[in-house]
Amino acid sequence: MGYVAIKGGRDAIEGSKTAFDFLRTQQAENEQPLQAGAIENQLRLLHSRVISEGGLYHPELASLAIKQAQGDSLEAAFILRAHRSTVPRIAETEALDTSKMRVTRRISSAFKDIPGGQMLGAATDYHLRLFKMELLNESPEAFRAVSKQWMDELDLDTIPDSFPKVVEVLRNENLLAPIKQSRHDQVPFDITREPLVLPLPRSAALATMARGEQGGLLSIAYSNMRGYGDIHPTVAELRVGYVPVMLPHPITGKPMEVGEVQVTECEVVAMYEEQDGKPMFTLGYGACFGHNEVKAISMAILDRALQKGEQHGPSHPSEDAEFVLLHVDGIDSMGFCSHYKMPHYVTFQSDMDRLRTTQDKQAQEEAK
Amino acid sequence: MTELEREEWISVLNLVPDEALRAVIDNFPADWIIKPKALPQAGLGLLKMRDSALGEPFYLGEFPLSTCWLSISTQDGKTAEGAALIMDDRIEQAEQLAICDAVLSAKLPGWESVAQLVSLGAERKQIIEKERKAILARTRVDFSLLDDAGDDDA
Repeated sequence: MGYVAIKGGRDAIEGSKTAFDFLRTQQAENEQPLQAGAIENQLRLLHSRVISEGGLYHPELASLAIKQAQGDSLEAAFILRAHRSTVPRIAETEALDTSKMRVTRRISSAFKDIPGGQMLGAATDYHLRLFKMELLNESPEAFRAVSKQWMDELDLDTIPDSFPKVVEVLRNENLLAPIKQSRHDQVPFDITREPLVLPLPRSAALATMARGEQGGLLSIAYSNMRGYGDIHPTVAELRVGYVPVMLPHPITGKPMEVGEVQVTECEVVAMYEEQDGKPMFTLGYGACFGHNEVKAISMAILDRALQKGEQHGPSHPSEDAEFVLLHVDGIDSMGFCSHYKMPHYVTFQSDMDRLRTTQDKQAQEEAK
Repeated sequence: MTELEREEWISVLNLVPDEALRAVIDNFPADWIIKPKALPQAGLGLLKMRDSALGEPFYLGEFPLSTCWLSISTQDGKTAEGAALIMDDRIEQAEQLAICDAVLSAKLPGWESVAQLVSLGAERKQIIEKERKAILARTRVDFSLLDDAGDDDA
């Protein structure tokens, strides 16, 4: 059978798009359409996930992407990333320092007492995972009440604007290697402009994981946690907050704040090893846009695992740069997976032909 | 005038409601000659971060960016330059803020209303800071030894 070009799906495709929108709007008599602000605030962790995996800190468009994709985080991140590919790049910041982060959450599992203190912030860690049935039919009054009383009876004067990094405590005690100037001056790898051809510098790994898919990162990091690896991490610090984005003022040349980005950042302390002739703790680092703690911790574990793999050769999948970096991108992996839904009529026809031929040959052999 | 440095004006002005900013801009004399010093642009900025573990720079992602740099010439011969960079897609918003930057820096007619907007934006910024600090204040962990804590597990 030869190759046959076909057509005729256009109306069906248009119908599919309409059906997709119909399902979104079928309760129009009783419901209000979702607004961008509601998605950003009331679905903030989904929003964070999309903004991080999309690799573009655009809260309004991330909300739109979630609405348009009807909550599919991979599809929403794809829309966001498709958009960014159409927009010219006009500036690059100096390397931002997260010690100036406007923190909203800060914890350490390494030390009870950290400089500035531990602040639990907003997290689900301390929830009982029991239903709050009152949210099912939440009244507007109850909805407003929480934020109305938020600022009551608080002494904010003792809260500093920024907090020192916990890893600096370890570094000051000579338990961590000092930061080398040569690392400071490196030119980072731009994963949006250059293909991921191995071997890759660490900056490429960090950038790839920063917009990697949370489930993909967690899955491979979890393999390391369970025993396919030996990072044994301790969270030195996990912080969530807003980092001011600085660019030079065109007239004065001094840095000015153009906006801020919410970032989750994590440093894990791992097993010690000899560095420059002295045993020192090793570190892994994770950071991403938005509030994504599992992602930042997973990234930090994988960063350390990849460093180990690079130094001593990979012993486990999580230490193998190719295995990790080429499989954690949600857009790549979702795209490959989804492509199997596309017509494969010709290739499958070929598979069937070969199977029939093989069966015929087998039948002839058995008839002899 | 304002106590804030010039480099802080734009970020606080960008917190002011759009209508309030528009109202101030609309009150500036229509006969001012406003010319671009550089092509206004909307695009993306690349955000570089320094990892706090090993001190290496890497790219965290991108953000929307609009830029504007312009000059204003008034009918009585005064000139001023203003510029704005904002994390936003809207070039027109960057243009309005750049006009405010020029007016305030050179104290062109109407600079008082821009200074008021700066104060308004600074107040808004303080409220945001307080809301965030309230999260920390309400969730600060006060560790104590079991013996000292008694039954009160605060």
